[in-house]
Amino acid sequence: VQPPEKPLQAEEWNKLREAFRTPEIFEEVMLNSMIRCNSPIDVAKSLLTHVAKRNGDIAYHLLVKYLTLCVQQGQVSEIRDVYDIMKVRFKILESGAYNLLIKGLSNSDQWRMALTLLEEVKKIMVPPRTCYESCIKAASRHQEMKLAFELYDEMLANDVVPTLDVLQSFFDFSRGTKDAELQKELFGILLYLRENQIYPHRTFMRSIKLWFESIPGGNWRGRLINIKESGQCPVCNHQLEDSNLTEEEYSNLSERIIRDVIHGSDTFRKTSPQEFEAFQTFVENRLPFDIVIDGLNVSHMKTRKMQCENLFEAVNCLAKENARLLVLGRKHMLMNSSNWKREIMKEMQNKADFFFAENISEDDAFLLYATLRSGKHCKFVTRDFLRDHKACLPDSLTRHLFRKWQRGHQIAFSPAAEGRTIKFLPALRYDCVVQTTGDTWHIPYKDVFEEKYSYQVPRKWLCIQQKR
Amino acid sequence: MQSANMLLRKVVRSSVLPFAAQHRMQKDLFPLSRTLSLSHCLKQDKSCEPSEKLDLDEWKKVMKSGMQEEVSEKVSEPEELSSLAAARETLEMWRLAGRAVPDHITEEQLKTFMECPSKSAKKKYLKYLHLKELHKKNDKRKMDEKRERRLQAQDQASKTGETKKNSLVCLWSSTMDKAYNWRAAQSMIFGQPLVFDMSYEKEMSVREVTNTVSQIVLSESCNRKSVDPFHIHFCNFKDGSLYHREFVKQYREAWGKLLITVTDQCYTEIFPKDKLIYLTADSPKVMKTFDHDKIYIVGSMVDKSIKTGVSLARAKRLGLETAALPLEKYLLWTTGAKNLTLDQMMHILLTLKDTADWKKALEFVPKRKYCGFVDKPVKELKKTLDLINTLKHGKGREEVQKQFAKSYPKKYKLK
Repeated sequence: VQPPEKPLQAEEWNKLREAFRTPEIFEEVMLNSMIRCNSPIDVAKSLLTHVAKRNGDIAYHLLVKYLTLCVQQGQVSEIRDVYDIMKVRFKILESGAYNLLIKGLSNSDQWRMALTLLEEVKKIMVPPRTCYESCIKAASRHQEMKLAFELYDEMLANDVVPTLDVLQSFFDFSRGTKDAELQKELFGILLYLRENQIYPHRTFMRSIKLWFESIPGGNWRGRLINIKESGQCPVCNHQLEDSNLTEEEYSNLSERIIRDVIHGSDTFRKTSPQEFEAFQTFVENRLPFDIVIDGLNVSHMKTRKMQCENLFEAVNCLAKENARLLVLGRKHMLMNSSNWKREIMKEMQNKADFFFAENISEDDAFLLYATLRSGKHCKFVTRDFLRDHKACLPDSLTRHLFRKWQRGHQIAFSPAAEGRTIKFLPALRYDCVVQTTGDTWHIPYKDVFEEKYSYQVPRKWLCIQQKR
Repeated sequence: MQSANMLLRKVVRSSVLPFAAQHRMQKDLFPLSRTLSLSHCLKQDKSCEPSEKLDLDEWKKVMKSGMQEEVSEKVSEPEELSSLAAARETLEMWRLAGRAVPDHITEEQLKTFMECPSKSAKKKYLKYLHLKELHKKNDKRKMDEKRERRLQAQDQASKTGETKKNSLVCLWSSTMDKAYNWRAAQSMIFGQPLVFDMSYEKEMSVREVTNTVSQIVLSESCNRKSVDPFHIHFCNFKDGSLYHREFVKQYREAWGKLLITVTDQCYTEIFPKDKLIYLTADSPKVMKTFDHDKIYIVGSMVDKSIKTGVSLARAKRLGLETAALPLEKYLLWTTGAKNLTLDQMMHILLTLKDTADWKKALEFVPKRKYCGFVDKPVKELKKTLDLINTLKHGKGREEVQKQFAKSYPKKYKLK
């Protein structure tokens, strides 16, 4: 339905209503289309007046719809009126209405009222993220940074995850500040990005850069750079952190992998206790390896070639400089078949250690175990992103550890060399997280348009350096 | 008492009040008064003076006019709300906001609602209750309509004065029951055993256990009605378990009289190991024929979150043979998981047992999951498809090929 352009008289509304297919929901549909067309609120008012006269009451959902329209147009006094009406009419409101009220008021000069509303929401539930965000933005817009950070901390304490948008607004509204306390808070946000392995997008990165450069007397200078394979920053020659875990983190991760990924709820789901034990003794007797290869994954690399040829080529390619290799496979590879020639398999077994799991076992779990057991220098080869194994880890902290370790230890195929010979991309030598040395900051960022999966890391960085 | 309060509050809130207040009606009267008639009068009043200028904020006055009354009403109410009442209040607001929320909710359901770990879980639970309520209402409406029709039919019959005369006393259902039970009893002595493995309670949520039990109830009934029923065994069945409680809930008194074997023993303790075959969709082995000497095991589990390898792990642990239905071989699979419901399994197994005809048996796989039958082994199918394609000369051929390539390994590529 097309909403009218001018306020209508009651009988005119009545006519429209009767012409409508389902008169019961006429008002609802009409208000919806008013919201869509952003009609003048006078029209909506006339509709509400008509409803009020006919029924003596206006249903809650209609009020909320009207409120949406008011918020959309920033009609502050109307928002307040609706709130007054709702407040007396209903003991509590639901989150949708609160959301709208807070959003509407926080954009006006009555933004403090939004804060009182937030307090009201807290009485009945944990406020949704949007409520917090409106209030935080309002506070920082009015330079009440302390208040904004209080709300932010409260949000984190309630396990409500902030959007990048809000984090960005902190940087935008703190430009040129001298307040040391405030600076500390903003550095805290950067560390939050680091801990949660979040990468800012391009515009957010710009806000960060501008903020740094605006600090009076800070002498900060930011540059956009690409970091080379070596992991050295071309501007300040700083060497980026590597992704090695600490001893404690390392042992923690291997323990969790054994417990949650390999055993899980039932060891039999991925392997069997006998098999796992056999594998453990096999690995312990031959430690340490330099590279662990997922044999079946590698063997599927080029579909035109025989599977064992693929594997053979990969093993040859990696077997340089006396590297100790371990290839994981399944028992069916030992059966002489069109894809698995016995002679080639024999030859490979001279160059690398092989472990063959049962055909119905999962060899990926073994791959992780063998690599972790061999120590920090050991890398592994697979095209698999290991997302399903990451998902087996129960808490986000361990998952972050896993991702960090994976970034530094996974060797993948080079996509460019798909055609001819096999080539490998070496594992990243540096870790892709926000990092600092005190007088430098290095912040990886993503271009907004570039699609990013959890396994892809950005290649672009912001280097910020303090000139003394 | 509380519900009375609620009712009162609702009445107070309902649309009647402001008008009642405006027109200074007696409070005692208003449950009887009709808004409609009032508004009707009002409308007529208004229509007499069409030239009146529009007051856009009049709705506010109307809304506020009812308030005075209500404020005084409110003061008398206890200010503090218990958490339960608060939840009820929230629900009420959600309902007003037009969300999928049930009209009535019991104390117990409200508690479950509050225990939901997240907002989305809460929403889901409410939606479930809402739909359940809708179904119930619909069923009731249909029942009423049916009763109405029956009464009418009876009326007519009595008017015409016809009375039925029949040599057989109409005792269909109970006679049938007796016959079925006789067969089931025979199967308890001579029938081929079929095991339901009841050891998955820990893997399932309460909803899933409920669903499992209703699927088993369906399976049991279709088994009982078949020509040659299985001897059903519930193995690893613990008294007082969630399964048990659900069965009692569904069967009531009949639970004690079922002609099946229920035991807390494992199937490996009752039957020789080499005769057991665990049916699981994850099995690498595909069932070729139905073996009348083997004992098939079906895992009583509904896994909505598709937990792969749970039942396979169980079979591995016990060192049992496993098998999967040859779905790929006989059906051109399109969507959906390969795990079937327990009653579908039962239908399939019964049909196999009676006829050994895979095509007939796999009729019970839901139609949405496959697009057609491969009525012969793949190699022969290839020939027929070739023939059809040469006859048709390419029309729709690519599509067939695509479908074929998706479901079958390269070896059988259509030429």
